[in-house]
Amino acid sequence: MQNGHDITVSDDQAEILTWLSPLEPHLRHHQIRTKRVKDVGDWLLKTEEFRSWKNGDTQGELEKVTIFCSGNLGVGKTYIR
Amino acid sequence: MCDEPGQAGEDIAVAYFYFDSAAQKEQTAASVLGALLKQVVRSFKQIPKEITDAFRRHKKFIGGRELQLHEIVKILGTLSSTQRTFFCLDAVDECRLPDQANLLLSLKDIIEISPTARLFLTGRPYVGREVGKHLPAGTSLVSVSPRNGDIIRYIRKKLSEDINSCEMDEELEAEILRKIPENFSDM
Repeated sequence: MQNGHDITVSDDQAEILTWLSPLEPHLRHHQIRTKRVKDVGDWLLKTEEFRSWKNGDTQGELEKVTIFCSGNLGVGKTYIR
Repeated sequence: MCDEPGQAGEDIAVAYFYFDSAAQKEQTAASVLGALLKQVVRSFKQIPKEITDAFRRHKKFIGGRELQLHEIVKILGTLSSTQRTFFCLDAVDECRLPDQANLLLSLKDIIEISPTARLFLTGRPYVGREVGKHLPAGTSLVSVSPRNGDIIRYIRKKLSEDINSCEMDEELEAEILRKIPENFSDM
């Protein structure tokens, strides 16, 4: 037992992970990744809001823990299709 | 965004979920947060003790009881405190109503427990009110609209895939690239 983490055999691991939730969001993620046109939507990653959120620039109370991306149906919140 | 690398040598965890209005019945607050927890757990070299202990406890029940929402929240808060953890949830408006409030309240609890947890949410504008109500402190709002550069990139890609491309000449392509973005300007 190191740093508080238990050692578990791998058969148990799969069972535990399935027990945590039956949902498999990586399936949808993979589908979107494949369909998204390269570089589309990257503007968001360059915004000041995103960068300070990602880098956790602690500017005291100015720090934003949450980003909410708002937009109507079909504007490209998930991806542009 | 989920595939953006972190800073070199730093342990981070990214957990995401895409809501789908056609799958609302399965996408309860507990199953969605459970799916986030599953991804956070995978970022550890070994399954954390909090999880194996809970699993053993719950296995004693007939049929093996599932984790309750408040238990998931507590464990997620603890585990996301040990490394920077990014939770990304797409289309919060597509989560059905009682679950949506439970989900947002749970996320609020998690960020209160964990100073290193970050939330990235998307949704239609009306759900922004709910987000603001449940996550009052430190939310930054980004308005998403199609960028001209993105529309052009997208159209170029689609035109290059067009099997009837013999009909296409430079003039027609230029006209498409000019006209289509104009129609997006009011979105």
